[in-house]
Amino acid sequence: MIDKAAVKEFAQSQEMLVVGKSVGRVDSLDKVLGKPIYTMDIVPENALYLKVVRSNVAHALLKRVDLSEARKYPGVVAVVTAQDIPGINESTALLPDKPLFATDRVRFAGEPIAAIASYDPSIAEEAVDLVKIEYDPLPSVFSPIDALKPNAPKIHEKGNVAKHLKVRKGNVEEGFKQADLIVEGTYKTPFQEPVPLEPEAGFVVPEPDGSVTCVASIQSPYHVQTGIAKILSLRPEQVRVIQATTGGAFGPKSDEIPVDVLGMAALVAVRTRKPAALAYTREESMIGHTKRHPFVISVKVGVKKSGKLTAWETKLFADTGAYASLGPLVVIRACFHATGPYVIPNVKTDAYCVYTNNTMAGSFRGFGGPQAHFAAESHMDAIAKKLDIDPLDLRLMNILRPGTLTATSQIVDEGCGLEECITKATTESDWYKKRRQFQSMNGTKKRGLGIAIMYHGNSLGPEGNDFATVHMQIDSECKIRLRTALTEYGTGAPSGLLQIAAETMHLPIDYFTLDPSDTEYCTDSGPTVASRTITIGGRATQMVAGKLDQRLREIAAEMLECPADEVESSEGTFHSKSAKSVSFRDVVAHAYSRGISLKESSTFTAPKCEYDPETSQGTVYLQYTYGAVTAEVEVDTETGRVQVLKMVAAYDVGKAINPISLEGQIEGGTIQGLGYALMEEMIHKNGVVVNPNLGDYYVPTSLDIPEIKTIIVEYPGRLGPFGAKAIGEPPVVLPAPAIVNAIDNAIGVRITEIPATPDRLLINLRRTQEVQEKG
Amino acid sequence: MSKHLLKFSVNGKDYAVVVQSHERLLDVLRDKLGLKGTKEGCSTGDCGICGVLMDGKIVNSCLIFAIQARNKKIVTIEGIGSAEKPHPIQRAFMKWNASQCGYCIPAMILATKELLERNSDPTIEDIKRATGGIICRCTGYLKIFEAVKTAASEMRGQDN
Repeated sequence: MIDKAAVKEFAQSQEMLVVGKSVGRVDSLDKVLGKPIYTMDIVPENALYLKVVRSNVAHALLKRVDLSEARKYPGVVAVVTAQDIPGINESTALLPDKPLFATDRVRFAGEPIAAIASYDPSIAEEAVDLVKIEYDPLPSVFSPIDALKPNAPKIHEKGNVAKHLKVRKGNVEEGFKQADLIVEGTYKTPFQEPVPLEPEAGFVVPEPDGSVTCVASIQSPYHVQTGIAKILSLRPEQVRVIQATTGGAFGPKSDEIPVDVLGMAALVAVRTRKPAALAYTREESMIGHTKRHPFVISVKVGVKKSGKLTAWETKLFADTGAYASLGPLVVIRACFHATGPYVIPNVKTDAYCVYTNNTMAGSFRGFGGPQAHFAAESHMDAIAKKLDIDPLDLRLMNILRPGTLTATSQIVDEGCGLEECITKATTESDWYKKRRQFQSMNGTKKRGLGIAIMYHGNSLGPEGNDFATVHMQIDSECKIRLRTALTEYGTGAPSGLLQIAAETMHLPIDYFTLDPSDTEYCTDSGPTVASRTITIGGRATQMVAGKLDQRLREIAAEMLECPADEVESSEGTFHSKSAKSVSFRDVVAHAYSRGISLKESSTFTAPKCEYDPETSQGTVYLQYTYGAVTAEVEVDTETGRVQVLKMVAAYDVGKAINPISLEGQIEGGTIQGLGYALMEEMIHKNGVVVNPNLGDYYVPTSLDIPEIKTIIVEYPGRLGPFGAKAIGEPPVVLPAPAIVNAIDNAIGVRITEIPATPDRLLINLRRTQEVQEKG
Repeated sequence: MSKHLLKFSVNGKDYAVVVQSHERLLDVLRDKLGLKGTKEGCSTGDCGICGVLMDGKIVNSCLIFAIQARNKKIVTIEGIGSAEKPHPIQRAFMKWNASQCGYCIPAMILATKELLERNSDPTIEDIKRATGGIICRCTGYLKIFEAVKTAASEMRGQDN
């Protein structure tokens, strides 16, 4: 690991060539020109198209599946079910609990049972309607609380708990005794739908040697490779996976869903020896892929009159749906962040990942952080109100600062810019003055200002082995090509890797380009999740660029007839001390003429996180991103409509590699968080999603966008290149509690269940008014 | 199902293609003309990313029967700029890194083109209304607004 002081010194002293500058993304030109780069733009001409037969009930035995009419339908070329699987009928992320095709039993409404292929997708779709399925209904359960009851129907053999994790620090009972006040609350969050604008898509080409090539809209090529190999009973290296340009992902394209898509297509491809493509419809995508886990979180906090926190107890119940996906890991992250970024001497947290017969929840940007912080940060405002302390002051009294301990007793290091984030965000939002002003507003429209603050563990930590490999090669036309199995799906992070490489090699950024992620040319780099491309992939990039730079200097030294350590390089020219120089092009040509390889690879593996498995005390993540967000809202007390007017988003990102891309990530995440706060909710009725379309499921549009002021704070971390921290996920975490806290400031109503829709808001407003009238 | 001869102009070029009554403009553009820049996001007219210009107005090509484009002028993203000479709107989107996953960008650029042709100096409210029918899930829209403003100012400069 890099020495802390050295990182800070480096970050401050070094004049950077390209890191820290707003440069254009490598993928922009193709995208603004509308080039055919996405999966369904490049399907081979002679491909078959699949449509999926899905269950329409939540929990039942499959009594009879009659495919005969569908098989006979003119134009249908193949029908595949579990019986056609040469390998294992499994498509999973973590636990071996989910089949690719249901056989004897379905556990959620929308579970795949069969797939039908035709050269004409509309024929396949018509044939789906000819499949007759008889169900034998089983008792179902649709909430994690009900699923934990002793008599609840068992969804899987081992019971309904997929994971239980604990944090134990100090003694909460003692902490409650020391408290002057105990504040309790329960908070609920919804299924949030990721809505990548490109629904899931992939195609599989059978190769003459029995192997297959998969092209798809995905995040994690190697997870797909393993999954497809298992289904087809092939060796992993017989499955080549190429990522097509991916039109958004946000989580669900990282785990088992791409294995579902490509697994079904692969079965058709190997059986018919034709390319086979499957693109989910929007409805299928919304039902079939993983969403943000709904949580029920109960909190009990002890606090002194002064505002000092003495004890914090939390129970979190996550609804992971019918199959676990990465639910157990989401719950770990939620559990570790459940107390917010505060110093609390006594902590007791219990987090449960629970099966229900709802559709699946899994990876989604934020990964448990948004739910945990919604409860913690709402509760801090509830405590402030009871103590009659300003919520900002209460926070400042308790926040993590360098030298303090987190809930897992990890020492907060110097790379903690939390306080500066808070100060800058509240100064920009004019906190005290506006909060005072808003209290004296007349009329039916009221304004409020709210805050929420966070920390976000970087690295996979307890979620898996954290490594990445980056390959670089200088081609004969002098283009430096970077390849990695860490994928670009919109984040811009791989373009950031090019900047890191350019900085390391002292070469102009336009010398570099990014090749597609392809298992044929890229070593496994783990999943492209957890905002790890810059932090982990960036370190591997520094290593490989360093090696290639050294190689070039050695060749230049030979040409300049001087020792390699005397070669200086800048902007594409290599100089010796005697002022002789050769160009980058000459050096590359020299290497090619002598057969010297200009190809290098490096792997970076993050250190292990060590903590006690029983109490979770220890190092759970390798560094933390910190943030503070304020929201100014206007609440219409007659219609219940909330309009967000301005948000200030301050994040300690360690080092901004590309400020304009960073702002884009922060703004995009903030708006996803705004949707989570006010409008986004996948509604299930008896396990059936009732709003699986973008007409009934609302996501923010241009017309919902407030002014957003982004503030970048840089306290270098220990892990990432140049001190950089993770920022892909964090921006989605805070808007919900900040907005809900602002609503409370505006109208004195605490919304404990999001989204804060107009009807929910009006019901709460009425209830509060009734209590006030009685009281 | 009856077949029709559809004559229309796409990106300034005249086409005559045989289409069925129920075929969508989106599918004819993508599958018969090979113009893959137009994207399908929902097929229900909710997301707006299949937007193309029909006689200068942005329409959801998933909700338009191909035959409705008879004798009309269609402009798709392929008709806006080239790799050698990107349109000022495309340059502005690149400048602001306003394209992240890129899937909504063809429609956003076409909506911008429609806006700037009738209003060379739009306010932020004008921009919001013009792009309000197209969902972007990545950017939070703000960099898109900036790109539209930059494109407008550059195009006004060109006019002078």
